[in-house]
Amino acid sequence: MSASLISAERVTMRFGGLTAVKDVSVEVAQGSITAVIGPNGAGKTTLFNAITGVYEPTEGRILFSGRDPRRSLDGWVIASCVATGIAMAFFLAIAVRVEALWTASVIELYEYQKAFPWAKALGAFGSSLFGGGFWGTWVPLLIGLVFGASGRFVIWSRSRRTPDVVASAGVSRTFQNIRLFPELTLVENVIVGMDRRLTSGFVAALLALPSALRERAQARGEALKLLDFVGLGDKTEDAAGNLPYGHQRRLEIARALASRPKVILLDEPAAGMNPTETVDLMRLIQAIRDNGTTVVLIEHHMRVVMGTSDRIHVLQYGEKIAEGTPTEIKNDPKCVEAYLGKEELG
Amino acid sequence: MPEPLRRFTPFTRGQLVLLGLLAAAPLFGESLAASGRTVVVYAILALGLNIVVGWTGLLHLGIAAFAAIGAYVYGILTCEIYPFQLGFWGGLAAAAAFGAAAGVLLGAPTLRLRGDYLAIVTLGFGEIVQDALKNLDTITKGTQGINPLPGATVPGVSLLSSASQVVATKSSSVADGAAVSGTDWVGWFQISNETPVRWYFLYLVVLSVIVFLCRNLEFSRLGRQWFAVREDELAARCMAIEPDKAKLKAFAIGAALAALSGAMLASVLSSTGEPSNYDFQISILALCIVIVGGIGSITGILVGAIVMIGLNNVALPAISDAMQTAGIGSTSNVFTSPNNYKYLTFGLALVLMMRFRPDGIVHSRKAVQK
Repeated sequence: MSASLISAERVTMRFGGLTAVKDVSVEVAQGSITAVIGPNGAGKTTLFNAITGVYEPTEGRILFSGRDPRRSLDGWVIASCVATGIAMAFFLAIAVRVEALWTASVIELYEYQKAFPWAKALGAFGSSLFGGGFWGTWVPLLIGLVFGASGRFVIWSRSRRTPDVVASAGVSRTFQNIRLFPELTLVENVIVGMDRRLTSGFVAALLALPSALRERAQARGEALKLLDFVGLGDKTEDAAGNLPYGHQRRLEIARALASRPKVILLDEPAAGMNPTETVDLMRLIQAIRDNGTTVVLIEHHMRVVMGTSDRIHVLQYGEKIAEGTPTEIKNDPKCVEAYLGKEELG
Repeated sequence: MPEPLRRFTPFTRGQLVLLGLLAAAPLFGESLAASGRTVVVYAILALGLNIVVGWTGLLHLGIAAFAAIGAYVYGILTCEIYPFQLGFWGGLAAAAAFGAAAGVLLGAPTLRLRGDYLAIVTLGFGEIVQDALKNLDTITKGTQGINPLPGATVPGVSLLSSASQVVATKSSSVADGAAVSGTDWVGWFQISNETPVRWYFLYLVVLSVIVFLCRNLEFSRLGRQWFAVREDELAARCMAIEPDKAKLKAFAIGAALAALSGAMLASVLSSTGEPSNYDFQISILALCIVIVGGIGSITGILVGAIVMIGLNNVALPAISDAMQTAGIGSTSNVFTSPNNYKYLTFGLALVLMMRFRPDGIVHSRKAVQK
């Protein structure tokens, strides 16, 4: 096995007094299929949410290829904090005395149908702006600077590890309770999944420049291929919300694959599927892995888990009780107990 | 294989029919062209609102505030009482830019609010802008409004001859019953309130361009981001989309279009009017157009604007006039003067739409498949 792609180190998730995940460490090897199993309420989905950035782990850290995907405090962030601060400072300083400034720089200098002394007006505006004294100029400037810069800073610090940051690092997921974009077509759902790889800008899109059209046509072609891959190639223009349940699950997988992630996290992909669909799904999961994408899945369907995974992690009451290959887990008395209960003796 | 380029025709058939219908309106009387300008202005306002409400799924109850900002920016930057005097096109561009800036200023700190809370913020913003404009009377002339404002011009042409001269030559030649004189081609480009038909056509061109741009956005990457955020914000986030940025862009573009419509209206009225002209009623009227026409559908919004403004500015006054000439109507009695029915019809239209056709007259392409 090669280096680990995800390493969750001693992750704990607490919600108030409830500890949903306690001190769980999970290593996911590159190119493997890893399953996380456990009874309902064991904290599997919470662990997924912590990994994908929906929650920030209370304790512990989660690395992807040895790196923690976070927005760093780089020059852009600092520059934008400063810029926002200065902009707010001047906005506030102008706003509190806007009538006085207007009178000084426009009304007193403008005579009807005569040339307007622009330079003089600018000077008058400046001297009036900074001539408001302590309360008129400096306090508004200071308040604006502090609130603008700190507001921008707070927004940055709160969005350091949001799902979009994690997703940009190449982590894609599906949801236990399917979360498609129901009113968009299948193709559009998949193209939204591709968004991270698209580059066309606002102006190109607004004017429908050839570059934007070309990108759109390419994205569409790729989306059709992906839909074919998951077996939905025949109804690409339907609204996603109209699909039967099993197909919606496949569409979610196609959407997650569209970003060409390094790792894809599947949350109960076989839920609600009939036996035939389940077999197809197992083939699909293996095909995804064979195409080079690492797979992590939560699943209750033991056939899927035992038939596909290289490594299994077992959670119960938020704690990891076992880890191993399918054969090891099958024969682990603790796991059997967690699922089936203890055998009554005597 | 469905051809991917099919969607890149500049307009859909429905939009072409509607724009053609609007273009044919002056054939039925020049007064229609005058009210047609209002239809166009409200269509642009509603298209802006649609980007926020229909496409991004944010309830916005203060769109009129941005129209007010657009009107006053146009007023301040073009009126002769102030030194800027940018002219018609410069005024429009500045109004749209200021509108977008105001949208960002309101949106950046508040777009993280969800659902109803954002609606309350936008509602409050609408009231604040009105009050601010009313009280800053050194700049905005308070309830008097800024006037007179320049009407539409086509650049370069108005330099050839002054408006009054052209109107004079034109009216004299018409009075003489003579053929169009050699110099009169200038008059064709001269747009004034005496010739609202040309002005109306100019506005129709602006509307067509905006429909084209909106349509491009609808099928662009940004458009898909908006839809994704509307349908499921968390799922969109997990697809590496930043909902805050997408929402802020929607807010800014919506505000820019609203400001543009405000400026165009101010230009028609030759005055910004008083600040209370841009009150909650206008926001609701715009929302009515979006909902009655078909939320999320550009074609629907054109229909909505024609139906609602047509009802308000053409049909009801016409019925009132007809009743008065027939001797059964009187302006002093609310019941016999249909002109006073407009709020009733708005409410009735909304109730009927909600009951019988909740997706609007024209379904957006997504809703069709339901």
